[in-house]
Amino acid sequence: MKILVKIGEFFDASRLIPIESAHVSGVSYKTLGEAPTDFLEALANAGEKIKVEATLNPQSLDPKHLAMRLPKHLIEMQLKLCGIFEKLGFIESFTCTPYYIKEPRKGAHLAWAESSAVVYANSVLGAWTNREGGPSALAAAIIGKTPDCGIHRAENRKPRVIAEVKVSLENEVDYGALGIFLGKILEDKIPLIRGLKNPSLEDLKQLGAALASAGMVNMFHYKDGIKVEEGLEKITVEPKDIKETVEELTTTTQKPDLVFVGCPHCSLREIKEIANTISNRKVIGDVEFWICTSRHVREKAKAYVRRIEASGAKILTDTCAVVTWTDKLGIKTIMTNSAKTAHYAPTLNKAETILAPLKECLKTALK
Amino acid sequence: MAKCMVLRGRGIVEGRCKAEALVSTKPISFLGDVDPETGKIIEKRHDLYGVSIKDRVLCFPHGHGSTVGSYVLYSLAKKGLAPKAIINHKADPVIVVGAVIANIPMIDKIDIGKINSGDMVEVDAYKGIVKVLKAEED
Repeated sequence: MKILVKIGEFFDASRLIPIESAHVSGVSYKTLGEAPTDFLEALANAGEKIKVEATLNPQSLDPKHLAMRLPKHLIEMQLKLCGIFEKLGFIESFTCTPYYIKEPRKGAHLAWAESSAVVYANSVLGAWTNREGGPSALAAAIIGKTPDCGIHRAENRKPRVIAEVKVSLENEVDYGALGIFLGKILEDKIPLIRGLKNPSLEDLKQLGAALASAGMVNMFHYKDGIKVEEGLEKITVEPKDIKETVEELTTTTQKPDLVFVGCPHCSLREIKEIANTISNRKVIGDVEFWICTSRHVREKAKAYVRRIEASGAKILTDTCAVVTWTDKLGIKTIMTNSAKTAHYAPTLNKAETILAPLKECLKTALK
Repeated sequence: MAKCMVLRGRGIVEGRCKAEALVSTKPISFLGDVDPETGKIIEKRHDLYGVSIKDRVLCFPHGHGSTVGSYVLYSLAKKGLAPKAIINHKADPVIVVGAVIANIPMIDKIDIGKINSGDMVEVDAYKGIVKVLKAEED
């Protein structure tokens, strides 16, 4: 409660408002560590329970593919942490794309952590949520309310800067690069991004995930017909900005140990596309190919999953490369189509990175 | 003679301290940019790369990135590796939450360009005041 009051004071909120759902981050033991686990355990032992629909971010283990390959004490700590969340009343959702499980209503107030999901919810789905810290999203889940501040207020959701994109974005990597580029210069100013040509939902997912990784902005506008105030600051995005950003996010020319798709977690459509491209091909011998998604989407994609796994690729649920210990699996180089992963992997995975679109990732992974 | 400069901002998390400033021109994501085991900045593209934030008055423009950053700040505090105070230009809610649970005094709306790494600073986050005791200049 102290957390929410502080946040409210900080934003000059005069009241708390009910939320439809919460999404909680800080579920992977790798990113969380010991002291915060004790903090959460104390909360669970005090009998706290969540009051609203709430989902959990990815943890560090996939029950099928990773659990046997990691050190025992880490597995035990992760299972302990999952037990704490269960005691708090959560079900095992473990995904960074909770909107594929249940799409929030347009205009619904939420308290979501997981920065990529926050941007997607605000910008693409039209729901309203601040970018909550892990502990404040949890506090909101427990009391069912959040401070009425930030972009829960209509006046704070207007564009404050226009980003004119003067480059044709060819694939999801270009969209991710745009997000990283803008994230670094926007501070917390919501942009109206002009010049996007028929982006797919997955392109927008990549854009938002990258925007939130590099910056602290919680949403973007991209549709035609958005009203803007006179005299707004303008930024132009030139081809070299995208090119240089992609190049910066690639740190090696070496062959990858791991090809990783699914940051943020794959949609059903992405899994279908991967299955269709794989067809009857096989993953090359010395490369691992991970496709990460939620249990929910995996269940809906059963037919595709069978085809993908017959190739030797692994469909991982509940986790992703960033939040598990890839370094302990001997992975030193990661190829990905996610600008967010390429942004975090050098520090969080101690890995070299290659950022390339899905088509190239598949070409590299398959015979 | 040492000079004293007073900067006024907004106190967010209460507390007082006096320590040496560590100033960055780049935003910080506590998850990813800071090693929770050592308190050092491990992001190679960061201007504080390799520097420890332990016991410093950490001044940077704003936060970014992962919402798990709040917990990383808490971890650092429990290990004695946290900064003594956080001074921002614009506070990021993710860092505010971390500072609340880790009990780290925090002020924002400060022109951090007026503070240099190595300056001794007195932070009063009850009043939102940062006193900069400039190192002696010839």
